[in-house]
Amino acid sequence: MTAQSPTGAVTMGAGIRDVRRNGGRGALWVSSGFLVAVVLAALFAPVVAPADPNAIDFGNIWAPPGADHWLGTDQMGRDLLSRVVHGARESLLGPLALLVLASVLGVAMGTLAAWRRGWVDVLLARVTDVMYAFPGLLFVVLVIAVFGSGMTTAVIALGLAFTPIIAKFTRSVALAECSKPYIDAYRVQGVSGLVICLRYLIPNMAPALLGYLVVLFGEGLMSLATLSFLGFGAQPPSSEWGLMVQEGQSALIQGVLWPALVPGAAIALVVVAFNIVGVRVADRLNSRR
Amino acid sequence: MKDRAPRRSRAVIPAAVLALAVTACTAPPAGTEIDLTTTTAAPAGELDSVTWMLPSEPTSLDLDANGGTAQNTVLANVCERLMRVAPDLSIGPGLAEYAEWEDDDTVVFRLNPDAAFRDGAPITADDVVWSMERHSAEGAEESDEYTNVERIEATGEREVTVTMTQRDAVFVPAMAGNGGIVYDRRALEADGDAYGTPQGSDACTGPYRLAEWSSGSRVVLERDDAYWNPEKAANVARVEFRWAVENAVVNTLNTGESDGAYLDTASAAVPLLRDETVQVYQGPSTNVWSLITTERGGLADPRLRRALSLALERDGISRSAFGGLAEPWSTPLGPGGWGYERERFEEAYEALDAAPSDPGERELEEARALVEEAGAPEEPLVIANDGEPARTIIANATVDAAAKIGLEMRILTVPRQQFGSYYVDPELRAQVDLFSDEYWISKNDPVGFYKNGASDAGVNYSGFADEDYDRLVKEAQAATDDAERAELAVELQERWTEAMPWIPVVQVPTTLAMGPEVTGAPASSAFLFYPWAADLGAREDEGR
Repeated sequence: MTAQSPTGAVTMGAGIRDVRRNGGRGALWVSSGFLVAVVLAALFAPVVAPADPNAIDFGNIWAPPGADHWLGTDQMGRDLLSRVVHGARESLLGPLALLVLASVLGVAMGTLAAWRRGWVDVLLARVTDVMYAFPGLLFVVLVIAVFGSGMTTAVIALGLAFTPIIAKFTRSVALAECSKPYIDAYRVQGVSGLVICLRYLIPNMAPALLGYLVVLFGEGLMSLATLSFLGFGAQPPSSEWGLMVQEGQSALIQGVLWPALVPGAAIALVVVAFNIVGVRVADRLNSRR
Repeated sequence: MKDRAPRRSRAVIPAAVLALAVTACTAPPAGTEIDLTTTTAAPAGELDSVTWMLPSEPTSLDLDANGGTAQNTVLANVCERLMRVAPDLSIGPGLAEYAEWEDDDTVVFRLNPDAAFRDGAPITADDVVWSMERHSAEGAEESDEYTNVERIEATGEREVTVTMTQRDAVFVPAMAGNGGIVYDRRALEADGDAYGTPQGSDACTGPYRLAEWSSGSRVVLERDDAYWNPEKAANVARVEFRWAVENAVVNTLNTGESDGAYLDTASAAVPLLRDETVQVYQGPSTNVWSLITTERGGLADPRLRRALSLALERDGISRSAFGGLAEPWSTPLGPGGWGYERERFEEAYEALDAAPSDPGERELEEARALVEEAGAPEEPLVIANDGEPARTIIANATVDAAAKIGLEMRILTVPRQQFGSYYVDPELRAQVDLFSDEYWISKNDPVGFYKNGASDAGVNYSGFADEDYDRLVKEAQAATDDAERAELAVELQERWTEAMPWIPVVQVPTTLAMGPEVTGAPASSAFLFYPWAADLGAREDEGR
């Protein structure tokens, strides 16, 4: 159920399957609760965060976690808890945007290929194969080299990089769906292909796609964080998590771990949680069909 | 000359950071100090080889094409100049035995009769003329040093006469920099387009010759056993340069994978100070991090520049970006540039209406009043960044300072490889109001820096134009008496500080780290032009 990340990010599929086999219902609830908390924190960041995320306080450089700063401060004395809470907005909205873009393109390509078959299928298959074979990170870096760095470019570039993955998955699901009798029934009734696809085929594929997209969300988050870490995505003074890890690097050689550890942990926990939830959601939705 | 920072003879390391070593990542303050020094202990013996780290791979080994830190660090050992900067930053004879002003606008260089290229061919006046013409060609890195030069002639087999449109006292010290390199014309012409690339030769003379540049891997220098000057013969047979980001450089020193490095960022020295096997030194330099304003115009009004300067937390930047090993600074030139009349320059610096290191409410109120008086720009100001840690901190602190005084500012990040183009690409500069950079000069003469404020200077991007300033620059360049030139330089400094076309941030001493087995390298910024590797050797008389 998991997919290869276009930027080569580590996938969590095998581990998640083990959790599922072992009846990881507790893990599902914990993960769901955690994600809800993260989303709420992102939504209400100005209320939840104890300080302005960009407020510099040179008197508190690398303050360790404590009563004044629960998660410590970074190299400019900025409160890490506030930054990680505010950073959740950009860190979550980015993957969401890229998945919307990739889904629109990928589902359209995959559905069209499965529906039309023949040369259209072959052509789209070759196109996606070429896109799939091209190293995702290299593709994204090339796009950014042309259009300039920044979150918008990174989201568009990653959206394009994720497109063939979703297209391939959609095609495989659509092929199975197209072989079902109800599709033939609509055809016999003279319903147009476009209507069948939009009103019946795609909605019926939605459960499988949804679970898949939830898992991909985690990978999108990690990929965007990777780009920000490399300087191609979010730009200072943003508190996007990948950028925070990058800025925390200089603290590591000084023996100060938390500026990199806090956003790093946030990325890891959210990605794992999305994987657990995604796999379980897909299982449930599939089992209901 | 004993070079020392004026207001601080020692660089203090914030105790907080040092205590980390002991308390495993908890906060601390107490202090460790690094004495500023120009040299390190003389070696006791020779070594077969050393590995030296650079902050990046050289982009070219043709200093007329590109004169960055990495290539200067390498080629200082390979390419000798007419004059030579010493570890104490004084200027003395190099390939030229002496330079003498014959009259108001004519200076004569007399070559050392022993000076020779690698194949033993003597260095002649014709070689010098050819080299100077190459340096002065339009677009060459050091062509600005030749602005006042009218004619260069060989007036003897070993005598070169330079005629100038007006006397330029900075010209002779400038010949200790890259503008004074004497090329082996035959070798350079034989190289053709390959010169400066991994396929090219060094086409110079010096204690080391370029043995290998393996692109992406290493640059290797080998001792030139036929070097003409036995007094400067090298103690180390082979110097291998490798490059890495700062964190990795620190690790190579900690693990003994490398023998030394001139650290690009002083803060990298802080973790090295915890390692007893690594020697860390700081020495005088001319280097100052400044905010360089551009022609975009958001900061065209000097009141806005002064306001921003008043609100900048220089002390915080020093601690955050440089581990406390830099000093808040009020002028764009470090004390290493005070090569004569030092006391006068120290006194003048102290008397300046200094930029605050830690602005309080009074400074912020004054800054807000200046902004109100001048009027805030309609569009947000833009500061350039390239993700480099120190630059990112300076950019964030500048945005923070701007916000405190009612100026809106945002950060524009460009690829690291593109950042240097701000000096040469007006279209790139048009996108930002200011960019921060560490600027240094090769001459220990403040006039050598302050000429950058003349209305026709190549790096005066903000449009700062003052007829009196231009006149003072010309007078200072013409003044060969040190005391007279110092007075003029002080006046230039005051006018620059008032108008502030560049906003000074912190002064950064040169930071040198060496492993336990080597010694001898100078600790000052002379390493950019002086054959420092020839001074290296074994710390104990065992060799390796």
